[in-house]
Order: sequence, then C-alpha cells, then structure tokens
Amino acid sequence: MDKIENKLGTGCAEFQDELPSLMEAGADISNHPHLQQCHTCSDLVRDLLYIADQAKLLLPLHDPSPQVWSNIKGTLVREGVMGEDDDPGNAKKNFVVRR
Amino acid sequence: MTEAEAIDRAKNGDGYSFELLYTMHKRRVYSLCLRMVGNTAEAEDLTQEAFLQLYRKIATFRGESAFSTWLHRLSVNVVLMHLRKKGLNEVSLEETIEPQQEDGPKKDLGARDNVLAGSIDRVNLERAIESLPPGYRIIFVLHDIEGYEHNEIAEMMGCSIGNSKSQLHKARMKLRDLLKTRTLEKARR
Repeated sequence: MDKIENKLGTGCAEFQDELPSLMEAGADISNHPHLQQCHTCSDLVRDLLYIADQAKLLLPLHDPSPQVWSNIKGTLVREGVMGEDDDPGNAKKNFVVRR
Repeated sequence: MTEAEAIDRAKNGDGYSFELLYTMHKRRVYSLCLRMVGNTAEAEDLTQEAFLQLYRKIATFRGESAFSTWLHRLSVNVVLMHLRKKGLNEVSLEETIEPQQEDGPKKDLGARDNVLAGSIDRVNLERAIESLPPGYRIIFVLHDIEGYEHNEIAEMMGCSIGNSKSQLHKARMKLRDLLKTRTLEKARR
C-alpha cells in the first residue's frame, strides 16, 4: 500500500494539501489514517514538527555593537533631549533588576 | 532600581534610566532585527531606530501589557516599516520570489530518505533561516521563534490569516529542504 501510494502520489498530495490546516489546528495528527500507512508523509510531519520545536529553542544570543548605543545617545543629545554628561557604560554596572 | 522605576524615570526624560532599559532589552531587540533582516549592519540600524522610537514614545506606555511585549511589538513594526520602504513586503506576500510554488508548497511524494530529527543544531538552523526568502523568513521568525499568533501577524503585515498560515507552512517546507541539503552535503565530506 505504502509503495503504491508513494509511486502514484495519491493520498499524499491530498494529505499534504490539508497538512497546513491540520498543523495549525494544533491537533495531534500522529494518528491520522494516512500517516499510519505512508512513511513519506510521516517523515515529513515529523520533520516539520521538529523544525518548529527547534525554532522555539532559539534564544536571542547576539548583542549589538557598542556603536549602536553611541549613535542613539548622540542623536538624543543632538536633539537636546538627553544630557551629554550621562556616562554610557555605567548603566550595566549599576543596574540591579529587582523582580 | 526596578524596571518599572526605570520606565517611570525614562518617561520623564531621564537619560540614565533610558540607558538602563537599553541595557536590559538590547539583546532581544537586536536578535529580533537580525533574524528578520538577516544582515548585521541593517539590524544595528533598526535596533537604533527602535530605541529612538522607544525614547519618543515611552510616555504612551500605559502598562496594559508587559514592557518587553510592548517594546517587542514596537521593534517588529520598525522592521516591517523598513521592509515596506524597501518594497519587500509586497514581493514576498505575492510569493513572486518563488513563482514555481504559486499553487502551494512543493509536495513530497518521493522515496523515503533521512529524517531531520536530532540532526540539526542551532547554528545550522540559524543559517538556514537566514537563507530563507524574506517573506518566508519574516513569518517564520514571528510565529515559530517569537511566538506571535497568525491573527497578530496578519494585522502587523496587512495580510490575511490564511496567507500567514500558508507562508509559514512554505517556510517550514523550505527550511526542511535547506537543512536536508546541508545534512547530505556534510555527510558527503
């Protein structure tokens, strides 16, 4: 059955057309009848779920260069809304977050 | 000083408190910009713009949502505005980047090959996301990484919820292709 489905692509095409809405519905599709008999679609679903799961684990890991704060401060000082004597760099040392 | 105190003081124009807020949130804002545009120089410019807008708009923050959520939304809007100016939004939403896929994502009707599970690391995934076409990348970043719902994305992007769902599916399919290609290339070496 699996071999015939893969060769002809019947069932698979219909299932894959339906797949975005099945996944977005958040339902458990592992018991979908088509997946019980089709390894290709079963692998596909597993991969897509794996990618979505891995994406959730991506943390913000990059800091902007110090130049970004210099530019922000420079702009605000030029606009006259921030004083020039604020010392960039002190903030990190002195800021203790209390929750 | 707590974050709430820093926000109150920054609302009154206190530069020191504003710098504290920058220190706290710069990484998240910059990472969001970087993932959405895939370019460090552009991401730094957008981070700068987001915090300048924050300074100008912080007085309108009423605390109805968490400050980080509010700032995040402001930053997403800065990036989307930038992309609209570049004309990328329309291009991506009409899917002209990959016209061969106009009728939906490519079907996988082929023979069974290796599955991805357990084979991708953070670096490879980040690189694959970077190489997605802009329209796919933005929806993927907003939904799968940043956790926005389709209705929120549709509102921000000015597209339908269905379009957002469809772009997300295509993005994941494209990522799967990219990651599989990389895995196979690695195995051949």
